[in-house]
Amino acid sequence: MEAFIKGIGIVSPQKTFNTHEFLTELKEYNTNSLRCVEPVYTEFLNPVLARRMGRTVKMGIAASSVCLKDSGVEMPDAIITGTALGCHEDTEKFLLAIIDNDEQFLTPTSFMQSTHNTVSSQIALQLKCMNYNFTYVHKGFSFESAVLDGLMTLEDSDAKNVLVGGHDEMTDRHFTITQRAGFWKQENVATMDIVNSKTPGSVSGEGAAFFMLSNEESDKNYAKLRAVKMIFNPGSEDEIENGITDLLYEKGLTTDDIDCVIYGISGDVRFDNSYYDIQKTLFNTNTAAYFKHLSGEYQTSSCFALWEAAMILKTQTIPKSILIGENKKKHIKNVLIYNNYMNTYHTVFLLSQC
Amino acid sequence: MEELMDKLKGEIILQLNLEGLKNEDIDSDATLFGEGLGLDSIDALELIVLLEKNYGIKISNPADGKKIFQSIRTMAEFINENKK
Repeated sequence: MEAFIKGIGIVSPQKTFNTHEFLTELKEYNTNSLRCVEPVYTEFLNPVLARRMGRTVKMGIAASSVCLKDSGVEMPDAIITGTALGCHEDTEKFLLAIIDNDEQFLTPTSFMQSTHNTVSSQIALQLKCMNYNFTYVHKGFSFESAVLDGLMTLEDSDAKNVLVGGHDEMTDRHFTITQRAGFWKQENVATMDIVNSKTPGSVSGEGAAFFMLSNEESDKNYAKLRAVKMIFNPGSEDEIENGITDLLYEKGLTTDDIDCVIYGISGDVRFDNSYYDIQKTLFNTNTAAYFKHLSGEYQTSSCFALWEAAMILKTQTIPKSILIGENKKKHIKNVLIYNNYMNTYHTVFLLSQC
Repeated sequence: MEELMDKLKGEIILQLNLEGLKNEDIDSDATLFGEGLGLDSIDALELIVLLEKNYGIKISNPADGKKIFQSIRTMAEFINENKK
């Protein structure tokens, strides 16, 4: 199962929206919670519809619109999304209304917009797309499950172009609750200092990214997505190592063939060792990059990493802002992403140059 | 009456999230649905809840809705006539 990445649209805490620039202008923060740089939505959304939409719906639709335009595909053969929290802002709205109004006077809008599949369904409504439409809600595997389904749909059906996306949003209330649970750093951290942070907790993030997966070859394609692998709650580091080496073996590659490894280093001293251990044992001499200092930590953050990997392969550059150490390769043919969410949901993506 | 209509406009803008609109942008006699303010059936449900929540008025006969929600003025008149 392999597919070309034909188009991309991404909304993130960086200036990534509707541009082919690859982190040429870094947006640096000093915070423990990153929020997206949001576009002006009137260009992409009917104002009458937009007023009912929460942030993640708007971000998702804007990102998917750019992806469709970028790929030149007007009608995808499937729309598949992954989200852990869904439309959290709207969920909070109607739950608060239930409490505040003593279970009376409930209005329909927030409830309608709060379902996890709102983004994929709104995209379908806007396109009048009656094709396969699915949303995966699997915590730290949500986006990966969507990608896997996208690859399987391309292989097992007549589908030629599949729109796959991941999205999650952070709200003030959810941040407060999860910070109490120890998810996030108590202190603010500067963007470029996150990699060296030695305190518990990470910097929270959010974002929406859409990819047009296609089985059609083209000079304009970004990269070839060759595999996605999920390892749930591994019992030991060996399990992760074996998972990665098995995947590479299946694709006829060794660790030496990987020109750049993108790690999900989040600055959380409790979990970052898993990345350094893999780097030490498998990829000691390979070029290393990372992404969560730019995207923040969230369950579907690997969608940002996938964008980063595709851009590295397309542009053949690794911006200094994501590089750990030096770039040891001039020609980048294979990129591997290794990410985990809270050391429980471990995921691996393999991409190659077209 | 003018005061009630102005209050109503503010409540509708807030409840329906009519971004970019101010009270003075809404004509008290313009139709709320269709061409005027461009509201739709989901907004109608929101307005029914607004009347019940903010003014304690229940619309017992749904057929009356068309007349009540014709404009800000007809809504205000209905509130004045039925407010408890």
